[in-house]
Amino acid sequence: MAYRPEPDRDSRPWWERIARREFAVQECASCGTPRFPPRAFCPLCRTEGCRWREVAPVGTVESWIVNHQPFVPGRLDPYLVVMVRLEAVSGCLVYGNWRSERPPEHGERVVGTFTEVTEDLTVLDWAPAAAGGVHGHPSGRTSLQ
Amino acid sequence: MHNVTYVPKRLLEFRNVTAIAGVGYTPFTKDSGVSTLTLACRAVLAALEDAGLTADEVDGLATHRVGDSAPPTLVGPALGLSDLAWHLDQFGGGSVSHAVVGQAALAVAAGLAETVVCYRAINARSEFRMGGTGRGVPVSPEVQYQAPYGYVAPPQQFAMYARAHMLRYGTRAEHFGRLAVTQRAKAVKNPRALMRTPITLDDYLSSRWIAEPFRLLDCCLETDGACAVVVTTAERARSLRRPPVLISGAAWGGGTSHLSGAGADPTVTAAAALAPRLYAQAGLGPGEVDVAELYDCFTYSVIVQLEDYGFCAKGEGGPYVESGATALDGPLPVNTHGGFLSEGYVHGLNHVAEAVSQLRGDAGDRQVPGAEVALSTSQPGYILPATSALILRRA
Repeated sequence: MAYRPEPDRDSRPWWERIARREFAVQECASCGTPRFPPRAFCPLCRTEGCRWREVAPVGTVESWIVNHQPFVPGRLDPYLVVMVRLEAVSGCLVYGNWRSERPPEHGERVVGTFTEVTEDLTVLDWAPAAAGGVHGHPSGRTSLQ
Repeated sequence: MHNVTYVPKRLLEFRNVTAIAGVGYTPFTKDSGVSTLTLACRAVLAALEDAGLTADEVDGLATHRVGDSAPPTLVGPALGLSDLAWHLDQFGGGSVSHAVVGQAALAVAAGLAETVVCYRAINARSEFRMGGTGRGVPVSPEVQYQAPYGYVAPPQQFAMYARAHMLRYGTRAEHFGRLAVTQRAKAVKNPRALMRTPITLDDYLSSRWIAEPFRLLDCCLETDGACAVVVTTAERARSLRRPPVLISGAAWGGGTSHLSGAGADPTVTAAAALAPRLYAQAGLGPGEVDVAELYDCFTYSVIVQLEDYGFCAKGEGGPYVESGATALDGPLPVNTHGGFLSEGYVHGLNHVAEAVSQLRGDAGDRQVPGAEVALSTSQPGYILPATSALILRRA
């Protein structure tokens, strides 16, 4: 089994985009600063209001673990969780499972790849950039919230 | 670095005006067989007995918890206390443990209360396991971006940060191992410790994986038990049964989130931001600390705090431990009771109590000769972006 995310009032639109295999971050309507995770306020200019901007899910590997203890009931096989420094948002760390036969390398460039966990749950995982993710060419279009 | 931080004059008036007058423990076990309410009452009464006070003299109670323990509003009535002048029921994990004592000191310094007992009662082994399997997902908006990947428990999170440190600075498993071995050697001398059999580096390296790079012996014990400390004015403490231990500095806050949001450098904790403020409050620097009780939920959390509290350069925490510096006979004995790794895990309060013991000179076989100044710290602000710490001084 996997734990299901519990979207809140800030994050629901983001998860809806993920379900459509779209990776988007918020962009401040006033100063244009991108931010993640979804929040009402821009931490830089402290105003509300934002646009969603679809961005390339690319980043670099900051760290990873190989889990052995069954912290998730029933999930007994070792699995790898990677911590990725996201390129689209300065200073932002995101997480995901690792989709490659080989272990990651420090500082390695990675791309997001969507995994359909169940029929109604899609998440973003990470894979070596060289192998090519499913999402190499974002449209870059924005939409008002 | 400590003497360049601006400290308001009013804050300096807080230095050494309050004291810890007594400490109390229940035994540390794997199954207490009693409620956290019972554990809390036992520890509170033990601390009062140590101070030479009775419960009738208590006008404040304080604790921290994550919904897993008895609050002051239960413990007070259970001990027949009515009309507490001040109480604090602080939500939070290990990062707030020392803020609870600091806030009690503030309340006493401000005259809101005169005798506050701070306690933590926890059935962390037989009931709510902090790092347990199948415990359910913690309640926080951040969790939704991690839990679906099976990334939910503190051992995983700290392992992630530990590997970041290894990759950046060359910190090695042997450094973590040496820390675990060194702390066990201290626990051997501590009758209260749960784990008193010496271990070797090979024992460490052959212990099973929890979440690579962490092995079993990187992880603290989950413990049933309680611990309490009595905070009162320094003036009053001088007239009580035991030598008072002064609260020279108490600080909390610092840092940015290491979760999805403001992902700062994962090899730096909130302690780096807090330390200059804390040292400035106490009017001293890391070179004057004789004993350090550093929050050791995992081996790595000690190594990163050695750096962030200024005992060694950034990235040098591993070699610092390997040099033997943190051993009982080293220049900076760390976790003299064996820490959470080997004494037991009472979520921060047993670090405060051990610091008091060392400064009173009653730590028995593990006493650091002539210890005058102690630093005691909480979880250094991974997970949530805040930590807390105390600098204590022999009166």
